[in-house]
Amino acid sequence: MAEEMSHFQQFKSGIVENNPVLVQLLGMCPTLAITNSLENALVMGAAATFVVVMSNLITSLLRNLIQPHVRILIFTLTIATFVTIADMTLKAHLYQVSKQLGAFVPLIIVNCMIICRAEVVALKSGVGRSLADAFGIGIGFTLALSILGVIREILGSGSLTLPGGMKLLELPPGFDPHAWIIMILPPGAFLTLGVVVGVVNYLRQRKPKEVPA
Amino acid sequence: MSVDLGVMFGLFLSVVLVNNLVFQGFLGICPFLGVSRKLDMAFGMGCAVTFVITMAGVITWCIMHFVLHPVAGWALGDPRALNFLQYVAFIMVIASMVQLVEMYLKKFFPPLYTALGVFLPLITTNCAILGACLYIYMKDETQQLLNALIYAFGGGIGFAIAIVIMAGIREHIRFSRVPRPLQGAGISLLIAGILALAFTGFTGIGK
Repeated sequence: MAEEMSHFQQFKSGIVENNPVLVQLLGMCPTLAITNSLENALVMGAAATFVVVMSNLITSLLRNLIQPHVRILIFTLTIATFVTIADMTLKAHLYQVSKQLGAFVPLIIVNCMIICRAEVVALKSGVGRSLADAFGIGIGFTLALSILGVIREILGSGSLTLPGGMKLLELPPGFDPHAWIIMILPPGAFLTLGVVVGVVNYLRQRKPKEVPA
Repeated sequence: MSVDLGVMFGLFLSVVLVNNLVFQGFLGICPFLGVSRKLDMAFGMGCAVTFVITMAGVITWCIMHFVLHPVAGWALGDPRALNFLQYVAFIMVIASMVQLVEMYLKKFFPPLYTALGVFLPLITTNCAILGACLYIYMKDETQQLLNALIYAFGGGIGFAIAIVIMAGIREHIRFSRVPRPLQGAGISLLIAGILALAFTGFTGIGK
């Protein structure tokens, strides 16, 4: 095994051991704000994945031209361009969801997760590795948002709806979602994420130590 | 246009307490969790953010109303035709603003500059700033420059209050026995949740 991770390992590390939300605690704002339903979480995850993939691609192609002192500016401008594209696409095709996401689609620009990937991976490695990393991180982000979205939507609304409008699950009428309304309000977001991060840490600390890669 | 003090006060109160950017708007969570370990650092961060947010709010307001809308109206016939440039323009303003503030402080207020130190460049990626600028553009009440200024300033004060309260609590629990998996981020998020519950109590004040 060479010292460098293979592309597949790079891809996998973004989903599991370096999950941007649950392990690195990056990109907290959208994580908390839009995970009140699974649908929002999936759309947000898809938009962020698109942006991180494109930004990693461009940064990786330009990596020999970027001067160190203006790199943050170049990252943010690249990201802002693709966020504009994502925002207009969402407004055209998924208007209702885009309205619910509100300012959090443009706020992908300042998502530290994406800048972090550009800085840590794309600036130093080739296109293949950068893309593998971006897809891994994007999927890891979507997965984490979905976990929170599922928990909060089931408890707060008493049902689970897929993006197509299909009801996946409905809790029995004996369950009163109004008693749990706090889960879809802001405090519920902090509490759920706190508990989920705690559980993830517990699982990580319990896992037997592996040989460091 | 007349100046309505009632509207202005209501706007200020609403953005500081009722619609606090951190607890109700989920903006600026990263510095809120990252820089709230010590009280003096949290206070410095709060002040820096308040300053940048006020300046950025006013400048982006001017860009929208004096540059993008008139140019689009004059060249393309529709004042909103260039709105797709909004995000790129805003982030550009914020990034250069932070750079400018950094250089200005370094030259004229060296003590303040050393006190804020590492936090200044971090402010560029603070979503509270971009978020507040976007909300200023979306809201009806902030279409006047004075109201936009008050909204931006209030947003900064709200952020400062939130991060200072958080730092105060975290200094207190430093020696408490927190379960191991919850140490660090976990317990901070739970505290933030309880604080957000408290701030939910302000709902209904003002508008």
